[in-house]
Amino acid sequence: MSGEDDRGRARSAVDRAADRMLDASVLERLAIAVASTTLALVIGLVLVAVTGYDPLLFLSNVIEGAFGDNNAVARTLRFTTMFVLTGVAVAIAFRAGVFNIGVQGQFVVGGLTTVMTILWLAPFLPQGAVGGVALIVLGTAAAAVAGGLYGALPGVLKAYGDANEIITTIMLNFIAVGVVGYLVEGPFRGEGNRAPNTERIPEYVEFPRIVFDSSGFSIVGLAIALAVVAVVTLVMARTRFGYDMITSGHQQDAATFAGVDARKTIVTTMTFSGAVAGIAGAVFAIMIQGYYSDPSGVATYGFDAIAVSLLAANNPLGVVPAGLLFGGLDSAGTHIGIYSDVPVQLIDGIIGLVVLFVAAPELFRMAAKRTGLGGESR
Amino acid sequence: MTSAGFIDRNRVCLGSLLAVLVLGVGIGLGLGFWYGYSLSGMADIVQDIITVGFLERSVEAATPIALAAIGGLYAEKSGVFNIGLEGFMIFGAANTAAVLFLLGGRSPTQGELWLAIVAAVAISFFYTIVFAVLVIRYKADQIVAGLAVWFVGLGFGPFTAVLLWGNRNSPGLTSIDDVTLPLLSEIPVLGPVLFDTSPLTLLTILLAVVAWVVLYRTRHGYWIQAAGENPEALDTAGVSVNRVRYAAVIFSGLMAGLGGAVLLAHAGSFTGTGDTMVNGRGWIAIVSYLFGNYNPLGAAGAALLFGGLDMLQIQFQTAGIELPNKLVNLFPYAAVIVVLTLWGSTRMPSSVGESYESEE
Repeated sequence: MSGEDDRGRARSAVDRAADRMLDASVLERLAIAVASTTLALVIGLVLVAVTGYDPLLFLSNVIEGAFGDNNAVARTLRFTTMFVLTGVAVAIAFRAGVFNIGVQGQFVVGGLTTVMTILWLAPFLPQGAVGGVALIVLGTAAAAVAGGLYGALPGVLKAYGDANEIITTIMLNFIAVGVVGYLVEGPFRGEGNRAPNTERIPEYVEFPRIVFDSSGFSIVGLAIALAVVAVVTLVMARTRFGYDMITSGHQQDAATFAGVDARKTIVTTMTFSGAVAGIAGAVFAIMIQGYYSDPSGVATYGFDAIAVSLLAANNPLGVVPAGLLFGGLDSAGTHIGIYSDVPVQLIDGIIGLVVLFVAAPELFRMAAKRTGLGGESR
Repeated sequence: MTSAGFIDRNRVCLGSLLAVLVLGVGIGLGLGFWYGYSLSGMADIVQDIITVGFLERSVEAATPIALAAIGGLYAEKSGVFNIGLEGFMIFGAANTAAVLFLLGGRSPTQGELWLAIVAAVAISFFYTIVFAVLVIRYKADQIVAGLAVWFVGLGFGPFTAVLLWGNRNSPGLTSIDDVTLPLLSEIPVLGPVLFDTSPLTLLTILLAVVAWVVLYRTRHGYWIQAAGENPEALDTAGVSVNRVRYAAVIFSGLMAGLGGAVLLAHAGSFTGTGDTMVNGRGWIAIVSYLFGNYNPLGAAGAALLFGGLDMLQIQFQTAGIELPNKLVNLFPYAAVIVVLTLWGSTRMPSSVGESYESEE
């Protein structure tokens, strides 16, 4: 079976996109990521200057906010943990040629499931460390199941109903946020809570505070994120399932020829991706919030995760440095929100620009050729 | 395209619309019986829900979606999937609000509102050129670039608001006055819905008709269709594929920008919290034109369906049906999923998503 023949056949845009990303050498991908981020940051700084603020002060605020002191580092790592987890969830799907834009929804569903599972099960388990660990494990498992199912739904609709997953997952994001918002406002609201929140999970259900004594960050959370990255990398690189996923993402015809059930692969991919998003929701609920509130007010990790994954060329290992970069940016955003007059929304815009430039590697290839910098064999 | 093929395609479209309606009525009846209403009791409720005011509000809610949908289908017909409609709508709304505020402060006039709409559409022109160049010349991945436009809009829309008003939301500005056409507005039902309404609604209807005529009855329309279906043939005929695509993509950005501007002109102020005031309408626009089978009139009709679902909440309240707002607000999104699943097998133009290189 010749790959070159398959290449010539008509293929959907999604496959070609993934293909193009895989084609690029690791070094080139790295160069594109760095160039995209730099260009987006430069545009951001120009905007800062145009709107009448001091760009150098802004830049120093960004650096200080990301890595300035122990507090800033803990905050950066907290965001990094979330971006790595949600980023891996996105990468699983994108790598398999399935555009799961619904990580945000799966994240929200997972998070609420964790909190409710812990609240319901807490009375039946002993208090203290042992009960805490048991509740964390059960809550996270429940989140993985809930997130997986919520991801499987658009997978089934795509595989058997031919419904474009980009649109269905975006709609499911709106629906998840709306329904969870309704639940925490009414049926699941903690007794006597003035704000539309669930009850707090018990004190003893928390990650130990080692290394950093920060309320919203534990090194255990980061360790969980890195463990998930390792597991996902292994599954993708070393198992039959991972092989089927990636081949059907890049070479659908070849995969079908080799006996891969394309429809089943779409559903399992979405389930896997949703389950990881659910785990991200669990870590968010346990490590950061401790209860669940109206998700329309919660940070949109699931969306930025798309940028993280794209910047990493949808490679689960690449998600780690990309997550660190976005963690730093978001942490800087928090700092800027407090210590600077520049509207924080600028950071969101810059993240959008990063995605825009990552989408157009040809832009940098042509620029490199013209300036004689790279231009390798392409 | 043969006229027989045209009728055939519309029959399929009407058939599925009917299927969705039957499904909706079925669910409604089922729920009614479940809660123990008699048939006549349900008829009363339906009468309470479907009022002239409801139709008027639905048409108004449908206009921004219809505008973006018509733009989007032109781009896709030409072979470029403009998934960034949502982002362009956010820019349209934010820029209209910003220009309006800069022109007229907190109490702008109607003239200034029209000027702001024109200015916002003009600004959209420049954004769309950047997008078109990235997608066509630099062969950017259309899906990722489109998503990026959304993210950029979600960032810079509220950024503009915070710069101007120190808040993600604008203060109350002004909304567009209805125009009342004499005599025509006296016609029962149709009069108040179509001839005593926002002039932007009338503009949308006009644009939908013009877009239909241009697409199916002029040379330019055939070029657009050929650029998406058979770019090689168009190239052979001596028409630049990329030039046609540039025109279609830029048109789609202008229409989405206009959609955002109209949304703002109807609302009267900018909301930048959460997913901004656009709140998924750009995505719904994409589903509208898929549902309308890439036909501008069909897309406008589908937009009306989603506009109506969007306005159901008020009707439920007046009819005394107790359903949490937060859940009723989700109807359009749920409908999108149902429509897309039943109607997902729409045949896309064959060359969508592929960049074209002339063999010169």
